[in-house]
Amino acid sequence: MSALFNSLSITGSGMGVYKTWIDATADNVANVNTVTSTDEPAFQQRFVLASANENGAGSIGNGARVAGVQFGDAEGRLVYDPAHPLADENGMVRHPDMVLSDQMTNLIIAQRAYQANVTVFERARDAYLRGLEIGR
Amino acid sequence: MIPPISAATVSSPISLPSAVTATPGADPASQERGVDFGKAVTNALENLQSSQSATDALSEKAATGDLKAIEDYMVMATETQLATQLTVAVRNKAVESFNDIMRMQI
Repeated sequence: MSALFNSLSITGSGMGVYKTWIDATADNVANVNTVTSTDEPAFQQRFVLASANENGAGSIGNGARVAGVQFGDAEGRLVYDPAHPLADENGMVRHPDMVLSDQMTNLIIAQRAYQANVTVFERARDAYLRGLEIGR
Repeated sequence: MIPPISAATVSSPISLPSAVTATPGADPASQERGVDFGKAVTNALENLQSSQSATDALSEKAATGDLKAIEDYMVMATETQLATQLTVAVRNKAVESFNDIMRMQI
């Protein structure tokens, strides 16, 4: 079914996806220094899986949605840090296998994409409002 | 089909009842235009009402902190705003045409 103001809910779905990506990045950044002992899994990086809301062939879709969240490598990076209270007998601890600069880049991409959706939303609303002024 | 993110999508507030779009001669009793326009306006107001109560529910959630996504509220509020303006515009046009007809010299 094609709703009357479809572009508004479509951009809303896009904002939802990028909000989830920002949330996932926040979780990753918060745990970028979470160290675990070698007999436990490392913090696993969060990946958001986006998916298109298809409406079948020949028609515009309904935007995007979060299809799920996947976890990264649980192996992590083994770091030699014998002074760490969680270090094993060889002096090794597990760091999460992710890089802070990657996370910051993802954050900027997600933020800009969210802003792009907001811009489309505002433009669509302005267009509809202009349409309502026809013949006034 | 995957349901859209917003709590409810605004369907067209101005939907004519089936009698208006029915093929001519199908049922003479339902062909009265005056009744049909009244039905159309009632339908429009009912759709508008449901859209506004969806926005009310979301704004209540925003106030209580239960709102999961701010864009849900913004989308719903904007859709309701536009639907309200559209309904008012159609109503104004209808009243205008009625007045034009009433002022007609016979």
